[in-house]
Parts: sequence; structure tokens; C-alpha cells
Amino acid sequence: MMSTSSRAFVDDLALSHLDAAYNLGRWLLGSEQDAADAVHDAYVRAARSSETYAGGNARAWWLAIVRNCCLARLALRNKEKRNVAIDDNPVAAEHWMPRAEADEIEERLDSSRRRQMITVHLRNLPEHFREVLILREIEELSYREIADVLQTPIGTVMSRLARGRALLQKALTDNGTMEIPHGL
Amino acid sequence: MDCKAASELLPLYFDGELDRATGREFEAHLDECADCRAALIELDALRHTLRKDAPRFSAPDALRARIEKEAAAAASHQAPRTQRPWLAMAASWVLAFVAGGATLAAWNHGTSPADGQSQLTRDLFASHWRALAATSPIDVVSTDQHTVKPWFAGKIATAPVVEDFATEGYALIGGRIDYAGSERIPVLVYRHGKHVIDVFVLPTTMGTGAPESIQMQGYVLEAATLGGQPAAIVSDMDQAELARFRNLLSTSK
Repeated sequence: MMSTSSRAFVDDLALSHLDAAYNLGRWLLGSEQDAADAVHDAYVRAARSSETYAGGNARAWWLAIVRNCCLARLALRNKEKRNVAIDDNPVAAEHWMPRAEADEIEERLDSSRRRQMITVHLRNLPEHFREVLILREIEELSYREIADVLQTPIGTVMSRLARGRALLQKALTDNGTMEIPHGL
Repeated sequence: MDCKAASELLPLYFDGELDRATGREFEAHLDECADCRAALIELDALRHTLRKDAPRFSAPDALRARIEKEAAAAASHQAPRTQRPWLAMAASWVLAFVAGGATLAAWNHGTSPADGQSQLTRDLFASHWRALAATSPIDVVSTDQHTVKPWFAGKIATAPVVEDFATEGYALIGGRIDYAGSERIPVLVYRHGKHVIDVFVLPTTMGTGAPESIQMQGYVLEAATLGGQPAAIVSDMDQAELARFRNLLSTSK
């Protein structure tokens, strides 16, 4: 039976890293509803199996469960051959973008186009590369934490990150979306 | 460092994963190598683009509400079975306040003793939770007491007694420094099974104010002594394990 303490710990953990969980789910699954459902699955699973938490990095443990729930959903989706990526076309992608706050209309168009393009390019990356990029660049996890989430050796994290960066960089450069480097 | 070695280290340097010495060697190479500088700038531009233009999705309110509701339901579901701990907790707070009023002159900096004491309690619990949520609950990772003690000695006035109880099932895993009020205090970190145990070594002036035992959200804070110094243990171990650990601490020299 689960102790009150480990349950309370999971509740705190899930709620304080809910945005990170949802963001990961959203990037892996592409749809609002699926991401929310996957995070909810993950919460139920984490609460039920709080004993499997063996100390160490709690956020990585939680995100690893979220990721597993997302992958389970992806597998199910492929099996049912309802593999319709909801947000795949650029127009739909723009639809789920946060509102741009630029004042100038031109600037707004430009920034909306940039957001649209980067979203599309990220979505087009193979899942393995997309997830390390999200975890590293957007969620700012360390190599160790990413390795814990993906349950792979750190070396794999490093090579996927390098490969993912190279692929995305190439896609953006070919497309002219890459900003001119602003210097260090 | 040659360019080949440097280009392998480049992402690690960029991601802050290089140790300081290698980082400095890498920087020395960077000063001389325009190619590596350009590669670094490219990585930085990519990160800049991603952080600025890739949307980061926040959890919808409905999802948050759904999980909050289930968490609350689980908590209330547990309540009947855990009534006694709740009573004990209420009782310990009352006792703590009474005891605080009697013995806490040293804490009395413009607030009532009870306020000072509950502030200490809050600080210690907060420190434990913060550490659990952080990348690592420890600043110096070591199972060797002869590493941990000198590490403290360089950073605070009096280094605490550090002893490993691995043979008893309570392994020393390291230490960190945290604040109680404005005081820097050493924290020894032990592990027992899956439980992380923080031992806060308190200044003598504060120690008398530590409550005997308080529970909060399933975690327990208990007063202890360590080599004659007052201390407080925070953990989610059960009472019997905690009592055993407390006895071990009090016998350390």
C-alpha cells in the first residue's frame, strides 16, 4: 500500500512540473487533447507506482513517466492506423501558436511566420531528435537529467542532441529561417 | 588542444557540461580558432531561435484542475486511516508552541518565540523539499566522511561531526549548505532505502528551539543531537527507522 507521504510527494511533483510535462507531451503527440490525456495517465501511473521512485532526480523520474505514456499513445495511434497528425499543416500549426505581441503589423507577420516555420521544422524532425532538443533547449535539462528521462546512456543523449541540432540547423538555414548569428 | 578534440568538446562546453579545468583549456583553444568560434556562435543562434520562436506550451487550466482535484480527493481519502498522525501533529504543534514559549529566549528577535520556531520549522522543511526537487540534493557528493567534513570546514565557521552509518543501513551520500533564517547551516545528507534524510546541524542558540517532532505533508522533522550539537532530522522514514537513526546520530563523536 502506498504511504501518504509518497502520494503527497507525487502530487507536489506532478503539479509543480505540469507545464514541462504538458510541453513535452504536446511536442511528442502534437495534439492538445492527447497531450493532456497522456499527462493525466502519467499522473495516475506515478501516483500508483510512487514506490518505484528510487530517490535521485524527481523531475526526471516524472518526465520519464510522462514520456512513456506519450510513447504508449503514439504506438496505439499507429496501431489503430488513425495516424492523422492534427497539427501537421502550417495553417493548423499557426492556430496553436501563442499570440504574437509585436505592435507593428509587419513585424507580427514576420514573427508569426518564423514561429510557424520553426514549429513545422521541429515537428518534422524524427521524434528521438525532437525530444532531446525540447528537453535541452526549452526545458533546460542537463545531460544527466535527459539520460534519466530517456533511460539511455549519456553518450546517446549527446549524439542525439548533436544530430538533432545539425538537422534542425540545416532545415532552418535551407529555409532562411535562421536568424543571423548575433555574436557572443 | 587540437581542433578535433575541441570540436568534440564544443557542445559540452556550450551546454555547461565541461569541468572547469577542461573548460579553460577549451577556451584557450577558442581564442586561437575562428572555426570553433563560428561553430559555437551557430549553436548559440540555434538556441536563441528555439527559445524565442518555438512555442512552449503551458498546461491547460482544465488539466491542472483535474489533477488538483484528484490529488485533493486522494488526500481526503487517506484521512480516516491517518487520523492518529493528524492528531499527533496537532498535538505536537501545541506542545511545540508551549515548549517554545518556555525555552526560546535565544530566538526571540523581535517576534514571539513561537513565530521564530515555526519559522525555523518552515525553513527546514522547505530546505528538504527544495533539495528533493533540485537536480541533486547535495553540493558535495561523497560517501567518504573525510571528504565531506573538510568541504564544510572551508565554508562555515564550525564543521559538523560527519560519520557514515552505511553498515547500519544509513549511508552518507554527501552534504550541502542551506539557510535557516539568515544563518548558514550545514546539512548532512543520508539515504536509507529510498528515503533521503537531511540532518540539519543547528547552532547551539537555535537548537534549543527545535521542536521535538513535527509532521508536515508526510514528512517528519525531529530534534536530535549530533556529537553534542543540536540537530534536526527531516525525512519521510517511518517512526521506528527514524528513532534508530536518531540514536545512531547521538552516539557519533
